[in-house]
Amino acid sequence: MTVIDDFALLEKHGFRLIPYYFAKSEKDALAGAKKIGYPVALKIVSPGITHKTDVGGVRLKIKDERSLHIAYEEVMQSAGVNQVDGVLVQKMARKGVELIIGGKKDPQFGHMIVLGLGGIYVEIFRDVSARLCPVTSEDVDEMIAELKSHPLLEGARGEKPINKKVLEQLVLRACKFMAQEDIKEMDLNPVIFDEKGCDIIDARFSR
Amino acid sequence: MDKMIRNLEHIFNPKTVAIIGASATPNKIGNILIKNFYDARFHGMVCPVNPKYDEIMGFKCYPDVGSIPGKVDCVIIATPAETVPGIMEECAKKKVGGVIILSGGFEEVKRDDLALKIKDIAIKNDIPLVGPNCLGVFNPYTKIDSIFLPTYKLERPKAGGVAFITQSGAVGSTVMDLAAYYGLGISKFISYGNSTVLDESDYLEYLMHDDDTEIIILYIEGAKDGRKLFETMKKVNCVKPIIALKAGRASGGAAAARSHTGNIAGSYMAYQAAFKQAKVTEANTLDEVFEFVKIFNQPKPNGKRVGIITNGGGIGVLTADAVEAEGLQIAQFSDETKAGLAKILPSYGNVGNPLDLVADAGVEAYGKAIDLMMADTNIDALLIIVLTQTPPIDERIIYVLSNAVDSKKKAIATISIGGTYTEAYRKILEGKGVPSYNSPNSAVKAMERLMTYAKYCGKFKKK
Repeated sequence: MTVIDDFALLEKHGFRLIPYYFAKSEKDALAGAKKIGYPVALKIVSPGITHKTDVGGVRLKIKDERSLHIAYEEVMQSAGVNQVDGVLVQKMARKGVELIIGGKKDPQFGHMIVLGLGGIYVEIFRDVSARLCPVTSEDVDEMIAELKSHPLLEGARGEKPINKKVLEQLVLRACKFMAQEDIKEMDLNPVIFDEKGCDIIDARFSR
Repeated sequence: MDKMIRNLEHIFNPKTVAIIGASATPNKIGNILIKNFYDARFHGMVCPVNPKYDEIMGFKCYPDVGSIPGKVDCVIIATPAETVPGIMEECAKKKVGGVIILSGGFEEVKRDDLALKIKDIAIKNDIPLVGPNCLGVFNPYTKIDSIFLPTYKLERPKAGGVAFITQSGAVGSTVMDLAAYYGLGISKFISYGNSTVLDESDYLEYLMHDDDTEIIILYIEGAKDGRKLFETMKKVNCVKPIIALKAGRASGGAAAARSHTGNIAGSYMAYQAAFKQAKVTEANTLDEVFEFVKIFNQPKPNGKRVGIITNGGGIGVLTADAVEAEGLQIAQFSDETKAGLAKILPSYGNVGNPLDLVADAGVEAYGKAIDLMMADTNIDALLIIVLTQTPPIDERIIYVLSNAVDSKKKAIATISIGGTYTEAYRKILEGKGVPSYNSPNSAVKAMERLMTYAKYCGKFKKK
């Protein structure tokens, strides 16, 4: 399963990912970026690289063809000796709060869903809250309230609160998805929320 | 399984108890068991079973279960594991009411074959089976007691409303000893060991229907069936509050996990989720178990607004800090309450919350202040600090506090901080069912848990 297969399966289950294009060459990437519209993000796709940012395999805010050319070179180099499947061109995400919506099949309790502060520091802050699937909208409210970073979601420092309805729907959908596809582990991370909605930037799961 | 759970009644309320592996040799398990029944003045018939003896401690001894005349309600087995399947066959033939297997030597030492044999016999004959590899049960109402530890070393608690289900015998026995020491009344004690037939969920189900049980403590290391436990807790908790302590929390996050979630979410996180969704009160330590359980006999508050009474300013301030830290609210007194309180305070006193009665306060001032706050609809619960060191406080305070608790109008937690003298007061109060704490933080934390439980289980008035 490549990242593209994963994305396709998520879309089949109604998850709306940020517009993306999988490219196998620089020319292809340029075409993809044109189709999506600048600015874009560029990410390495390699089965050997789990955490792309850690190896320098992610370039953001690419504003034109010239920048894309440079970014492509850098991203390809970041792969080192790893096999490279291609690159992912993605529309630049909205600004907002980065969350993770994760899931796991516990041997005793079955599927559980995890909501937390997302991004690349998930395992450092460990600001997460978990519930067993299926969950209710009250459960999701409680999960949000339990997060240490919940003031961020409520609109700290003049920002507007995130769209909780969209978050709730996403959490409910994630539980349903795990049940239907018998998912062992899942990360939707980061998912960037603002007052209007959210962008699912990256996803990974195993069955 | 339903029928088997109902049949647990034979184990907890037996008329005839057979003890297999009974012994006349002091300090052997088979001897301690009989001595415990003897000392407790068990009302029913005790039948030691051992072909080597005619009688033990004056009880007629039988060569096997089948030889006991009449119905046998409860059989306690304390013989080596290899002998147990054969004894179970005899029990089935005799149509006994229920069986407790104290002996180890089954799943825990990879003898699943033996476990399977006893399980088959139990299920086929609807015989409830507690254990194996456990301390079994204790019911202070009927004095059935299979805890094979001498009563002079491990005191048995008095009868009351708290049931205790424990996977571990060691934790179970120490908690029983402490319950006796603190004066906590117990309804049923169940040490279930390997849970070969009946598991933690089945005991929860039984206790939900048990008239003597009001509150349930659950000590668990690993559930037999997590989903079943989750569903059962959801069903039981709002009928009878469950206080759970989960041991063995090492995250166990799979080293090979390829996702952040896989790394973060260990098995304990799943237990935590289950407790939260079932609205079960989770204790983090054995100390918290005792702190929480003693407040759950109180009326369920309608909100989180507390009135604080103290005879020492500083402890009142510390308590107010704890109230804020736990997310409770300091109540605003009604005008009537304020007017009433002004009358009982000395001229230099101030009516406020915390209400500082000052060190001159006598028992009468406490009584009046409590009455006023009980009547004030702006107050959901009371935190009463009594510093017993002050000269005007004497033993009459015990009656003032226990009368307030017995009136069952509002939840009360009392706080008395101090050494030997104060501890003596606290023990008397606890024996009378007055929740008593030696720190503001533990009292407020316990009150918060009670309020959270009340909120979820539909007791908060709709605003």
